[in-house]
Amino acid sequence: MDLTRREFLGYTAAATGLVGLPLPQPASVASADSKVDRWRVFVVYDRVNSESFWGYTRTLPKARQLFSADESDSISCCSLVIVPDVVLLDPRFSWALVRALQRGASVVIETGVGFASHSTFRHHRRSLREGLQIPVGAPVDLWADRPKARAPYIEFTWPHRTTIRDFSRVVPPADRPGDDVIAWAGDLAVAFRRRVGNGTLIYLGSPVGPALWAGDVEARRWLNAVALAA
Amino acid sequence: MKKSIGDNMIPKDWGFDRGLELIKKAGFDGIELWLGDVPWFQMATNDAQVRELRRKIESAGLVVSNVSTGLHWASPLSARDPAVRAQAARIVERQIETATLLGTDAILVVAGLVTEEVPYNEVYQRCVEALRPLGEKAARAGVRIGCENCNSEQRFLLSPREFAQFLNDINSPAVGLHLDVGNIHDTGFAEQWIEIHGPRITRIHLKDVLKHRGRSGDQSVYTNLFLGDNNWPAIRAAMTKVGYDGWLIAEMEARYRYAADQQFYDTSQAMDRLISGRL
Repeated sequence: MDLTRREFLGYTAAATGLVGLPLPQPASVASADSKVDRWRVFVVYDRVNSESFWGYTRTLPKARQLFSADESDSISCCSLVIVPDVVLLDPRFSWALVRALQRGASVVIETGVGFASHSTFRHHRRSLREGLQIPVGAPVDLWADRPKARAPYIEFTWPHRTTIRDFSRVVPPADRPGDDVIAWAGDLAVAFRRRVGNGTLIYLGSPVGPALWAGDVEARRWLNAVALAA
Repeated sequence: MKKSIGDNMIPKDWGFDRGLELIKKAGFDGIELWLGDVPWFQMATNDAQVRELRRKIESAGLVVSNVSTGLHWASPLSARDPAVRAQAARIVERQIETATLLGTDAILVVAGLVTEEVPYNEVYQRCVEALRPLGEKAARAGVRIGCENCNSEQRFLLSPREFAQFLNDINSPAVGLHLDVGNIHDTGFAEQWIEIHGPRITRIHLKDVLKHRGRSGDQSVYTNLFLGDNNWPAIRAAMTKVGYDGWLIAEMEARYRYAADQQFYDTSQAMDRLISGRL
């Protein structure tokens, strides 16, 4: 029987749940108030003007954001750290993210090199691999061959099932044991989550920020669910 | 009102100088320069060369009505790729710079392009956010950006009220509407666009359209003035109603197969009839 990678991982995840190893579920709304106090959207380097950055900052409650461009120490107080539109991760900043993960934070890393040059992509790949052990493949242009009946959506399976528009290019994560794929472009895995220490690392190979920026309702619901799960 | 026609209408084998002669002889007052669409006016054309174009135009007894471009079809302000967006903004900036050098106060911009890949909400948001700072630059230069209503080709801003909301969101007096009365097709009536937008109209493109004949792709539905389905008496009356007294610019898509220069004379005379109201 031929199985796609997506089908195989779907069956595996279901089997894992059946044997009593449930994956973390979104927190209840009742506990949300205490958590949102420590949400933080973080931006690196020159990405402060990116659509993605503005998408996250406009969606999350302003009063809860602890935005800062270079105070990586302040990450320690956050339950949720979002790093949108990432091109390069500074090693010190990566280390701060790892410590935050070990303490129990959720860290969202969103790729920002779908349209970048090959040399920028190579630096990006190295930076993610060395900083956070995120292996990624080369960008894929989802619209390259203009398929006739392609649905222009990324299917998310966590924290709930939803569809969000693709952003033309994806930087897919490479296979890595233990990573839980949470989003698909057809049969291509484009996002995962991983337990790191007491926290959760979420990698988005298909940016969600631009959809947030454009006012996409499903994207906003998805982000809220991720924030509540943090 | 004054009459103008695009330099991209000049027959390809005529050259700029001979084209200017024809435009003047046909009775036009000005010329619309198309950045990137003609060999004499490209992004690489430097300031000195642009000044030389102006000298030639004025020597021919003409002035520049506005600076247009078709470059935004390939490099739209609404692109997802930030490098393409940067190039699109640079094109607008060069239009502003050259408008100043050429002594005109208006440019035409095709603001955004909705496609299967890049959806409407993104295009809208991206164009608004791109045009705010560009509007500030234009205002400082004493130039107005006219966003053209390319309704069907852009699949964007299809109604006059939506276009008004778009301009409200940009909120810059330096950003208005470059109205093309032939582009509205079956989605409305040019005279209503004129009435709704009035003082926000920077320039008016004239051409006629054959309605109910399909749209876009390789099927041309544009035609010479008075051959199509536009209600020209209503369009002229709407111009009077809102006090439009600016440039009318001929933009003929279909060209004469023979005697290419004859189209300039015929178009100029048709524009005279429109301006005089003898319809």
